[in-house]
Amino acid sequence: MAKKDGDHRHEPAPMVDEVSEFEILEVAVRELAIEKGLFSAEDHRRWTEYVHTLGPLPAARLVAKAWLDPEFKKLAVEDGVKASLEVGVDWVKDMPTQFGTPSDYCNLRVLEDTPTLKHVVVCTLCSCYPRPILGQSPEWYRTPNYRRRLVRYPRQVLTEFGLILPSDVEVRVEDSNQKSRFIVLPVRPEGTEGWSEDQLTEIVTRDCLIGVAMPTPGVTANVKLPVHPAVNPVPHH
Amino acid sequence: MTTSDQNETETGQTLPDLDTSPIGLLEKVRTEGRVWEDLCEQYGVDNPLPPWKVNMDGTCDMLAAEDCALPLLERRWEEDELSDELYADIPFPERQLLALAHSMIKRGIMDEDELASTMKKVGQRLNSC
Repeated sequence: MAKKDGDHRHEPAPMVDEVSEFEILEVAVRELAIEKGLFSAEDHRRWTEYVHTLGPLPAARLVAKAWLDPEFKKLAVEDGVKASLEVGVDWVKDMPTQFGTPSDYCNLRVLEDTPTLKHVVVCTLCSCYPRPILGQSPEWYRTPNYRRRLVRYPRQVLTEFGLILPSDVEVRVEDSNQKSRFIVLPVRPEGTEGWSEDQLTEIVTRDCLIGVAMPTPGVTANVKLPVHPAVNPVPHH
Repeated sequence: MTTSDQNETETGQTLPDLDTSPIGLLEKVRTEGRVWEDLCEQYGVDNPLPPWKVNMDGTCDMLAAEDCALPLLERRWEEDELSDELYADIPFPERQLLALAHSMIKRGIMDEDELASTMKKVGQRLNSC
């Protein structure tokens, strides 16, 4: 209900006022799995609450810190898990430890770009992603289209994100696996001299951390990429 | 297509065959359910993902943990397959949910009738006020 506060009217945020069949399906699948003893409601709640807190900010701050502090950059490249502690992410202890996907908490490697080397991250097998420090993966990262084409045609795929690299820049695609997760430490852009850690953090977007974008002063949003099915999908069998 | 053959992937891993034949209950949800992007447009909401997605992600994680009722890699491969073949017209994350339910039914983790029955009860509960 809208209410008046002096001359200022507070309108409630719009909300979806209808229960969809998909919402009902999600609840039913979950409750049936709990009923069958596949996991407990308490474990599900703890895990979901934990996942809900995750996002790309800690990884962005890690990059900003590395740009400002050469010693921290050295640590980040040598030991990503230890460097994560500086931005509040403990890959070992943060997770609800009684359950969860074990591959989520093992190893983080920070891939340092240079003016002549650009890293980009993929998971060709499924959609492994450094969730504790980067949150949930975007839809396009999960698609076979991105996963299959990036390793074959990296420059073409990066161009689709608006990232056109000179021919003298080597592109290195890093494939995530069960035991290792990756984030990219991009080159600090020109025009950010004298910036604070907070200012730098703002321009290190999720896309920059995956490697499909370069940090740019004034750009704080990710690319909106339409998702297409693979034209020539590779069959699984 | 229902077989018990094993498949070797490009990376040498062996995965069970997937039965991609349609499931009546899920076909009904696919054709009659309203996807989040349509609801957002109608109600003027700009949240890009439905609130239930985080719960679905939790369910996927839980199923891959401990007793591993549905291993992550197998679920993702099946999701890819089903997204290509059966649920291509449905946007994300609704098609992920359909694929999850599909995998669980085809693997015998739950059956279609009990899921239908649970959906009926959940629907009545969520629409009760």
